[in-house]
Amino acid sequence: MASVSLNRRVFLQGGAVTIGGLGGSFAARAADERSLVVAIPSNPSTFDPINQGNHDAMVVNQLIFENLIEIDGEGRRRPMLAKAMPTISADRTEYVFELRDDVTFQNGQPFTAEDVKYSYDYMLDPTHKALRRSVWTNIESVDVLDRYKVRFKLKTPFRPFLDYMTKYMGIFPAGSREKYGNEVFQQKPEGLGTGPGIFVSARSNDVVEFRRNPNYWRKDSIAWDRLRVRIVSEEAARIAALLSKSVHIIGAPPVRDYVRLRQARAQGITGGSRPALGSLMLMIHNTRKPPFDDPNFRKAVSLATDRKTIAEKIFNGLVEPSAVPAPASAWWYNAKAAEGLAFNLDQAKAYLAKSRYASGAEFELLYSSQGYLLDVGDAALFIQASLARLGIKVKLQPLETGQLIEQVFAGNQASVLMAVIGPSDPTFIIQGIYTPNQVMTRSSGYSSERLNTLLADSFRVDDEPSLGPILADMQAILAEDSPSTWIGAIHSFNLWRTNVQGFEPNTGITLRLTDVAPTDAR
Amino acid sequence: MLIVVSAVLFALTRLTPLSPARIVLGADATAEQIQAFEHDRGLDRSLPAQYSAWVAQLPRSGFGQSYITGRSIDLELLESLPVTVELVVVTFLLTLAGAIPLGLIAALTEDRWPDHLIRMLSLMAVSVPGFWLALILVRVFAVKLGWVPPIGITPLAEGWHAHLASLVLPALSIALYYIGALSRLMRAAVIEVLGQDYVRTAHSLGLSRGLVARYVVKNALPPFVSVAGMSFGYMFGWAIIIELVFNIPGLSRALLTAITQRDYPMIQATVLVVTAMFIVSNLVADLIQRLINPRLRHA
Repeated sequence: MASVSLNRRVFLQGGAVTIGGLGGSFAARAADERSLVVAIPSNPSTFDPINQGNHDAMVVNQLIFENLIEIDGEGRRRPMLAKAMPTISADRTEYVFELRDDVTFQNGQPFTAEDVKYSYDYMLDPTHKALRRSVWTNIESVDVLDRYKVRFKLKTPFRPFLDYMTKYMGIFPAGSREKYGNEVFQQKPEGLGTGPGIFVSARSNDVVEFRRNPNYWRKDSIAWDRLRVRIVSEEAARIAALLSKSVHIIGAPPVRDYVRLRQARAQGITGGSRPALGSLMLMIHNTRKPPFDDPNFRKAVSLATDRKTIAEKIFNGLVEPSAVPAPASAWWYNAKAAEGLAFNLDQAKAYLAKSRYASGAEFELLYSSQGYLLDVGDAALFIQASLARLGIKVKLQPLETGQLIEQVFAGNQASVLMAVIGPSDPTFIIQGIYTPNQVMTRSSGYSSERLNTLLADSFRVDDEPSLGPILADMQAILAEDSPSTWIGAIHSFNLWRTNVQGFEPNTGITLRLTDVAPTDAR
Repeated sequence: MLIVVSAVLFALTRLTPLSPARIVLGADATAEQIQAFEHDRGLDRSLPAQYSAWVAQLPRSGFGQSYITGRSIDLELLESLPVTVELVVVTFLLTLAGAIPLGLIAALTEDRWPDHLIRMLSLMAVSVPGFWLALILVRVFAVKLGWVPPIGITPLAEGWHAHLASLVLPALSIALYYIGALSRLMRAAVIEVLGQDYVRTAHSLGLSRGLVARYVVKNALPPFVSVAGMSFGYMFGWAIIIELVFNIPGLSRALLTAITQRDYPMIQATVLVVTAMFIVSNLVADLIQRLINPRLRHA
């Protein structure tokens, strides 16, 4: 038999040289890159601003399409395509906007009040099936007052109107739907917005590429020539991309990696977080189903929930614990109502004893098996263990997100643990879960005349001194009846390379990229 | 087989409780809107009627349009299929380039240190989960050393060097398992052939070692080709996991996204194409077998 002599050193060196040689060109190419590259987890199913449902994928829409007002990094409303904040009538049903006269669409068409009317009218037409049309149906009419002045008439006073305007809409040129067709809006909206990024190309599940809009009305606010939004659904892959300098910024990093890497500036990475206004983590109980049909049982569950430990140990401070639907740091936070539901096992046992389920109870807790922004699986496990101490048996039921949403919309669940992301308006979630005819009303099965009255009252005011007491009363009702167990306000958090300037996490979850400058780009 | 797969798949996709209408029309869709959506797409018809309508449209208008993006599925496949095929082909070539020489070396050095080393490495290769291996490879070669990109496939337009570099890790993540498995098969086959009478006879007749080696390899190849051919089909399945880890916009990513979004026509089309790939690869393996083994031609 023939024998073969092997030289291990040569063999290993050969392999290394082969891989290293192939990689050499990659390193050189990366150094020559002149663009800003960001990675987000979700594949945008559309680029149409009136149909985009996913909050992190909204980055692609918002680079193309803009709105009359926007939310700044701190969560404050500020004018965008409007010259100033609107003039609002005394009865708060008419909003008049003066528009900027120095804005053109990316295709060169001047931006006017006609475009605003056209965009809203198009979105409001039920035959066009706009995803969030239901939040806009309070608009009675949009009227052009002159070339740069537009009036929105509402059917009833509705304070959240301005907050929704910053997120669930986008202005497109008058006549563009008929001219280009919906397919273009859905797949390649080149030149159709007023935003800083002009759509160049997109590959499904891979990348959306933009070039700088040279005629952007905010002349000096774009610090990149090319911007690539990479779709990286696997969180470990997003981290690897950031570590290897393939991307500058990542959305929705895993919590553990966020904490580990935030301080690791030596690796060229930093991070930051801030409360995502209007976004909360909670257990929505179905009050029509046992055992949550008993208010005492619901209070027992709420009192047995150690939010502080969940927030600190499981979510590493990226959830701000709160027993009411408001972040503890918010000006509308009702500390007294929250205190009444603070973690207290003795009180929890007392309420359980008063309930119809004193001898024990069992329920199924649904949660999404696919972590989005925050993975709630560990929290569900912790809640299961906590309630076991009261003799309450929790059957955990992880479900794929689509299935979970279907169950919750239909109100089939006993309880569901979820993170709800919304606009910065403080009543968005309360309205969506507890008021009649909303998409998630069935999930709670709860309604309260007092709460509805307060909600309507809250829509008539917009200043802190007037709104504060109303929001406080609403929290008191929800603490007393406990139709949900609030865990806390969630944070928006990101990781980015230290050579990126001007980036900060956005209170609305969606990445803000207009003033971001990668210093390695030339 | 394609008919059976497509029929079973068709039935399975429609067993899922969430209607695609809910995803397409959004959270606020009314019951009437959902009903209209399902009616427009024939989703309210019986399963056999839906299936026959789908089969009937294939020759006329291909796989139709995606429920979610509205794009032509044929175009979606034209974008994603070549990516996956290229990944699998590179993986397969890497597998052959690794498994055949290693199997040969192990057989030719039977019970000596090279044989022990190769057998140990191949055992490790078949034991390590591909997903974990991929993450380790990314960590070492992309993150630590920065030799290759950690995600995606660099377009060929940016140079074949960069393109190939981006394929190395994902291909290796799949190939290592098959190198381990097929090198063991090659080793066993070669050792068996080396023990045959005609090899001893050839040696005793003074035939050159190269010529003898050619006969040995040729006679050891049939079982190898058969398994390698099947492996080529299985690699499409592996690509599902690996494309996810490396964020490769191939067929498998398209399939996973379609499953999440309940995009029935996209799911059906993608699985059907993967099944077709598997069938074709087995067919090709059979044909190659017949080429290299004359006895099969007359079987």
